[in-house]
Amino acid sequence: MKKTSALQFEDHFHVSQEDLLRILNISLSRGGDFSEIFLEYKIYNLINMEEDIIKETAESISLGLGIRVISGEQTGYGYTNDFSLEKIKKAALTAASIANASHARDATSLTSALFNHNYYPVHESLHKEPLEKKISLVKKSYHSAMNYDPKIKKVKTTLLDQTQYLKIVNSEGLDITDVRPLVKLVCLAVAEQENKREAGYSGGGGRIGLEYFTQEFTPEEIGQDAAQEALLLLGAELPPAGEMPVVLAPGHSGVLIHEAVGHLLEADFNRKKTSVFWDKMGKKVADSKVSIYDDPTIPHSRGSYNIDDEGIIPEKTLLINQGKLTGLLQDRLSAKLMKKSLTGHGRRQDYTCIPIPRMSNTYVDKGEYTPDEIIKSVKKGFYAHKYQGGQVEDSGKFTFSVSSGNLIEGGKLTAPVKQATLIGSNIDILNKIEMIGSDLKFGLQTGTCGKEGQSMPVSDGCPTLKISRMTVGGQD
Amino acid sequence: MKENNQVNLRELAEDLVNFGKIHGADEIEVTILDGYEFSVDVRFGAIENLVEAGSRALGMRVIKDSKTAFASSSDLSRETLEHLVKNAIKRAALASPDEFSGLPSLSSRQTDVSSLSLFDPEIPSLNSKAKISLAVKAETIALADKRITNTHGASFETKEIKTVLGNSNGFLQEYNQTVCGLSLGLQAGETDNRVEDYWFSIKRKFRELETPEEVAKKAVRRTVRQLNPRKIKTQKVPVIFEPMMTSWLMGFLFGCVSGISIYQKTSFLVDKLGERIGNSSVNVIDDGLLPGMLGSRPFDAEGVPCTKNTVVENGILRNYLCNTYAARKLKLKSTGNSAGTGVSPNNFYLEAGETPPDKIISSLEKGLILIRTLGHGLNPVTGDISRGAFGLWVEKGEVSYPVSEITISGNLGEILNNIEMIGNDLEFQSPISGPTIKIRELTVAGE
Repeated sequence: MKKTSALQFEDHFHVSQEDLLRILNISLSRGGDFSEIFLEYKIYNLINMEEDIIKETAESISLGLGIRVISGEQTGYGYTNDFSLEKIKKAALTAASIANASHARDATSLTSALFNHNYYPVHESLHKEPLEKKISLVKKSYHSAMNYDPKIKKVKTTLLDQTQYLKIVNSEGLDITDVRPLVKLVCLAVAEQENKREAGYSGGGGRIGLEYFTQEFTPEEIGQDAAQEALLLLGAELPPAGEMPVVLAPGHSGVLIHEAVGHLLEADFNRKKTSVFWDKMGKKVADSKVSIYDDPTIPHSRGSYNIDDEGIIPEKTLLINQGKLTGLLQDRLSAKLMKKSLTGHGRRQDYTCIPIPRMSNTYVDKGEYTPDEIIKSVKKGFYAHKYQGGQVEDSGKFTFSVSSGNLIEGGKLTAPVKQATLIGSNIDILNKIEMIGSDLKFGLQTGTCGKEGQSMPVSDGCPTLKISRMTVGGQD
Repeated sequence: MKENNQVNLRELAEDLVNFGKIHGADEIEVTILDGYEFSVDVRFGAIENLVEAGSRALGMRVIKDSKTAFASSSDLSRETLEHLVKNAIKRAALASPDEFSGLPSLSSRQTDVSSLSLFDPEIPSLNSKAKISLAVKAETIALADKRITNTHGASFETKEIKTVLGNSNGFLQEYNQTVCGLSLGLQAGETDNRVEDYWFSIKRKFRELETPEEVAKKAVRRTVRQLNPRKIKTQKVPVIFEPMMTSWLMGFLFGCVSGISIYQKTSFLVDKLGERIGNSSVNVIDDGLLPGMLGSRPFDAEGVPCTKNTVVENGILRNYLCNTYAARKLKLKSTGNSAGTGVSPNNFYLEAGETPPDKIISSLEKGLILIRTLGHGLNPVTGDISRGAFGLWVEKGEVSYPVSEITISGNLGEILNNIEMIGNDLEFQSPISGPTIKIRELTVAGE
């Protein structure tokens, strides 16, 4: 068997270090405090199976570079996917125009930087794996869902993989590269009975090689999980409406923390004082049992990276320590303006985008109760299991949609419930966390987070959590 | 670094189609987008971000033995593109034959692109200073209002896009379009009781864009009206949807009448063609030919000419919106709604009624005006809706106070049957739009 190792950086850009330095100097021709070139080559593959056939395959290549100049609080940005000197110079001059000093600055000469860690060793580059092997994974997942039960009438399975080669150089002399694999296999199953139709979903992946699908989460398991959820929902009721105790299932419920807490701890929202947390650093914002981390260094996780998209080595960041607000997710610009240390959370969707503070893998630390003890403590309430997604306002008001859950009656999970909405205000809910389970898990490795039009792969997790009261929306 | 070779995009599309045919493709389609974007974000009067760039992208579809493969690239070098064509032909062999696959046949119908007014020559000639000052002005006006306590900033952006589409059935056409937009996001109230909202105007023509004064005024009004919200008890009440909320509802309906969700049976409107799905006041149209509107285009992503389709007529479902593939699956005709493998709206809207919106509000004895929703919570398979919401509570025909931390829930099928009043205030703010509407009853969950 092939040894697991770091992916080799392949230079798809063919721009010499001397030329990069020249471009950095052009971008600083009107002054500016900092300039940077982000070069990206991404190869992406998709396989889609539905109606019992491999319906489509797609291959996509994205090549381009973005040039950024920071001058005070201002950012100038230009990008191009044409690597001619003329077009690159034009992008550099566009970025340069944000500054208006009379004197040009010089960039420090570039030194290639190396690092010793690799959070995503794999057997083989995803784009070098044969298409036949990928198709076989898709078929296995598809058929295992379809054959799970006669009530499963429709299945759609998709495999998406990408390999991103990136190189970042900047006026401080940094020259650094990374190669990031990313894959997900997702399965949607639709079950029908009489006039009812329900959909179930599952998926797996991460920054991994295809070996994951034999070792960690098999395509068959992914198909079965999707089918099981669809069948369960056929028998599900609509939820009760009103305020009640809510227990959040481990793993999937991490989306609550991501949405309701994580976003508002992104440094830009605090620097601009739009986040409800901006004036609460060091203060109590949650029950003292609650600690929350964001950790980009979890091996193979979907949200992890060896370097962030500004070339910074990332760190596990403690955001809330036993109820107290202790940290923010920083990018270069916010850290500089707020005079804080870098945490390595500057991320960007691709070369066309300016990096901004983003989450990676966000989770609530584990507590002391068993999940049983937590459920037993609730006489009448709601158990939220899986989610369609959520959204938050800077004020801390959030909403998330529960696709499947259960009623809790007399300390036991009873009738399955579908299509509920949970709403609340983040600090209020953080203070109402009454019990924390010992069962920390991460949700599906398929999540994507949107902010300011940029999509990023992320993951999130939590143990079983009991919230003493929360508003559940449904049809009563 | 490479030499800069100016390529004629029309020739490039034609050459690649020929290259594909020579190398064994039965059919091949090539789409090229050539775009230029400018955007500026300002906050407290200063520039935060200034972005200016041109970029190109090419997408292709190859069919061999009724098997399909797709490819795309932002690298437009011949070497890469020819490699992708050859690779796509090879990959197609690994897909399954699908009798419904393939390109549309060449239509005799042709839209006169100039009649659609998609391109405004004024936009490329705007200078950066003028563009930046629009954003600064909108924000400055809003910040002069003492109730506004913080700002997300204002943005102005323009885009110019050329679309070239060629295929092996002899289609080869192109069109140019422009878009410009001004937006502003605000907060009111102190940190722990903050409310926020935004307003935007997006148009194809610069002269039609709302002025900074108008954008600022609307953004301020939308934000401050939410100050000091109350919670309400869970109850069933009539609900008025503001136009942006009706657009959101129409977006959900669009997903449910898309030919793809119909053949995939992931819509509650499967097998409902010709049947009543709403009351007789409901008329829903998709029209790709409205001059100057955001959703207008001469032909769709497969080169099928766009047209006007009646989707719901007096409550009866008349058409599913299809690309060529979905149409073949459903034994229907493409409606000119292709967006590659998916379908997209042209101008999809609920037709206006006759009642002015203030009359709709004054007709409400007790109920909610829905002004914003949050989150996901839409299930096309059942039509079920469950969303976090913000609203204004109405008593005796007048707005009493804002409400927050509520959810609304209901079902799209039921809503279409329970539309009691339709406003006369339809504006085409986005490709999906609708006027103010009043729904007989929805569940509003609160305390």
